[in-house]
Amino acid sequence: MDLRFRKGDILAIAAVLALAAAVFALFLPSRSTDGAVVEIYRNGERLHAFSLNVDRQFTIDGDYTNVVTISGGKVAITESTCPGGDCVGCGWASSAGRSIVCLPNGVEIRIVGAEGEVDFIVG
Amino acid sequence: MKAKEITLCAVLTALALALSYTEQFIPLQLAIPLPGIKLGLANIVTLAALYLLRTKYAFWILLARCFFGSVFGGGITALCFSLLGGCLALGVMALAKKLPFLSIYGVSILGAAAHNVGQILAAMGLMHSIYIGAYLPYLLIVAVFTGLLTGAACAGVLRVLPDAYISLPAEMRR
Repeated sequence: MDLRFRKGDILAIAAVLALAAAVFALFLPSRSTDGAVVEIYRNGERLHAFSLNVDRQFTIDGDYTNVVTISGGKVAITESTCPGGDCVGCGWASSAGRSIVCLPNGVEIRIVGAEGEVDFIVG
Repeated sequence: MKAKEITLCAVLTALALALSYTEQFIPLQLAIPLPGIKLGLANIVTLAALYLLRTKYAFWILLARCFFGSVFGGGITALCFSLLGGCLALGVMALAKKLPFLSIYGVSILGAAAHNVGQILAAMGLMHSIYIGAYLPYLLIVAVFTGLLTGAACAGVLRVLPDAYISLPAEMRR
């Protein structure tokens, strides 16, 4: 049984960080903020698409209720009736490729860059 | 299963459940505002079981922990997450343990990382979205630290445990 930190463990750390870097690079193309669009999904179905640059506030009703605020080029779930409230704890997201998730409500708020596949923009 | 096997697995399952319950009172999310961030204290039990017992017992303890964890709170969604994350972590740790250059710390870190990968996969399936994968790099970086922490905790337990462990039935020992 090996209970002491060994030099070989650094390889494990390096492997995990390399995987992190690889996944980060994979999602890099979707990060750009010009003309970014906020897409709201519930259970995989898109409900709305709003411009990230127009301030607004709205609610998403489901098993629970999320209050979503878009303000100053950032988006957040600012209030939620879900247990835990992790989605509110996530805070504000502003860069394309980021998403805010409320699992209890099945909601995903996704920021997509200008070249994302957008059918329509409301507002 | 014999009485001694059932008893030991039950005690370790209860310990894992107690640890994951305790964990929600540690406000790690205030420091790192990412969904699903936690210390993974229950992994200490999986790790200890893997080092002390045959792999099949570690697996049964994990299954029981995931099942009862979802009964007591979390529901079916939490069950998907903890099963996929937990099984992937156990599988990776069982393999990593065979690598001669890794100590319990390296095994623990790889297990924590695998747990995050499993959870992100579950979230991708559940939300029908690959974009959640953009969270994985952050989770993995945190996993290095939480993996070191749980590894240290488990190493501490195993250092003082051997005397008690001698009384384990031979067929349970690895």
